[in-house]
Amino acid sequence: MDYSKQIQDIAAKLFADGKIDVFVGYRMNGFDDNQVPVVITDPKEVSTLVFTEKSVFNLSNYLKADHTRNKRAGLVVKGCDSRSLNLLLTESQVKRDRLYIIGIACEGVVDDKGQKMQNCIECIVPDAVVYDEMLGNPQGRKDYIVNADIKALAEKGLVERREYFEEIFENCIRCNACRHSCPLCYCAKCCIDQETASLYNGSNTASSAFHALMTWSLHLAGRCVDCRNCEKACPSHLPLHLLHKQNEKVIFENFQNHLAGVEEGERGAFYKYSLKDPDDFIM
Amino acid sequence: MSFSTFVTDKAGLQKMYEAIISKHETYAPVEKFGKYDYKKVSSLKECDPDSPIAETMSVKSLFFPRSSKIMKYEATSAGTSILETDQDPLTAQRVVLGVKHCDARGLQVLEAVNKWDYIDSDFLKRRENTVIFSARCDKAGTHCFCTSLDYDLENLDALDIAVVNGAEGKIYLQARTERGETFLKEKLEKSTMYNVQSTNDESEMKKQYVAFTASFRLKMDYKDINEKMAKRFDSPAFEEASRNCVSCNTCAFICPTCHCFKISDEKIKDTGVRYKSYDSCNNVYFTLEAGGHNPRPAKYRRWRQRSMHKFVYYKERFGVNLCVGCGHCAISCPVNISIFDVVNHIASTPVGS
Repeated sequence: MDYSKQIQDIAAKLFADGKIDVFVGYRMNGFDDNQVPVVITDPKEVSTLVFTEKSVFNLSNYLKADHTRNKRAGLVVKGCDSRSLNLLLTESQVKRDRLYIIGIACEGVVDDKGQKMQNCIECIVPDAVVYDEMLGNPQGRKDYIVNADIKALAEKGLVERREYFEEIFENCIRCNACRHSCPLCYCAKCCIDQETASLYNGSNTASSAFHALMTWSLHLAGRCVDCRNCEKACPSHLPLHLLHKQNEKVIFENFQNHLAGVEEGERGAFYKYSLKDPDDFIM
Repeated sequence: MSFSTFVTDKAGLQKMYEAIISKHETYAPVEKFGKYDYKKVSSLKECDPDSPIAETMSVKSLFFPRSSKIMKYEATSAGTSILETDQDPLTAQRVVLGVKHCDARGLQVLEAVNKWDYIDSDFLKRRENTVIFSARCDKAGTHCFCTSLDYDLENLDALDIAVVNGAEGKIYLQARTERGETFLKEKLEKSTMYNVQSTNDESEMKKQYVAFTASFRLKMDYKDINEKMAKRFDSPAFEEASRNCVSCNTCAFICPTCHCFKISDEKIKDTGVRYKSYDSCNNVYFTLEAGGHNPRPAKYRRWRQRSMHKFVYYKERFGVNLCVGCGHCAISCPVNISIFDVVNHIASTPVGS
């Protein structure tokens, strides 16, 4: 999977035609085979753009940044990235007519050790769902499968599960990197930063981490697209996907097979109403 | 004062570590989710003093905790009273195993600011009561550049006892401070358990150091960087260099020398607990004033603060760089930004362009 040349050509043409002000892509980091996301404003830098199976970071995160907000931007999206972009569009965070989207029919990306990422093995939407131009051969949608870690966790007893999650919360250092690297966390003032909310007091005590991470994951329930930007950012290597994948499973089973951001214009599970929604919890 | 050097082997060192753990309050890198963090240990099996540098958190948290309780208070309509204040639990001597040299240097750098206008007696007392064992790395990591900075890594005295691997499984233990000297002598002189001999031959340690310094990918001239950065406050290169930063603050939280903190309360009904926790200058709220004004509203200004603090401001005030070249920020960065690349790039741009 190497679309570097095609992306360079497209970006150069977009700049030449005056269609975009910035282009968000990847470049090599200059010393090994890992890549760095790059926000280009100078057409001369287009030749540095690359795209291979090392292009891991979800670039739709950059659309909420100062340099790209309210600008005409070109960007590269894989399947999962396009789902989060789709949600940003539905939630009116970015305007579709300001974007030029290069969609990738993604064959999966690899981690630092060269292993295919777990979320890519289980990927249900490898092809970009929103795009102006598609690169690669579309593979079509795949069936939803329950994550192996979630299955293993479900087999454990309640106490064991609780202990496992407590370990996660105890090792959280409350840097909030998960939230900042999440493309769908765009609130101007996040609830876990409120000075008056004493539950999220900023300390790295297990109770504070519990409240912060649980609130965060519930705000992403039915919206998380499993791009794993949060796990890549976590300095403690916490398995944060467990929180999201569990939510995803519950929502898939209870909200008519809902999967976040796979259809253009489709809202998150909690943002739309259907008569089929479960209501047995209402007294 | 000259300090002693001892030579032992792997088995002897292990035995010695075990003896230390059984006798003293000992902290060492413990693995959890693939990342090592310094925790209290009760046996050598739980921890790995040779943990890989890239996967080990900074030892800073043992001296400047990620959050510490300042006090517990009660606030009612009748008035406010303090129920209890933080009692520093560190009274007896403790030992930390497996500290990295750069990390130990971070503590030395932090001492300057903790002894400045406000004396942070907690930090100083914790350092005073801790014996640090630090193994010199054999090979530099991808993002390491400790040898390029303003400290003598070979004879670093920020740690108490240096552990250096020699040829043929020999391991050298060298005291670097009086605290380390006393501790080593007490442990080793009367004991025959650890296959230890006193030695004056430092040639193998020198050899190890030469091989280690040759393994660095990154090299910088810190004096040149200090000088050039000082003149480039207005450089537009900061804007360019910070564009792909996602402001996640990981770099500051895992940095061995970052020391910004915030004060926050956990209040339930009338009683509350006040915490001092880490914060980062990359955080948009960090400089937000109560009136709503933010002196550093743009990301590049926050980035400028961080890199200038590391290489200019701290140097001007205390005479040392605030960066120790450990590379942890670059390793943990989700978008692989390296402070080495950033400052080198900014220093290479023309002034006032």
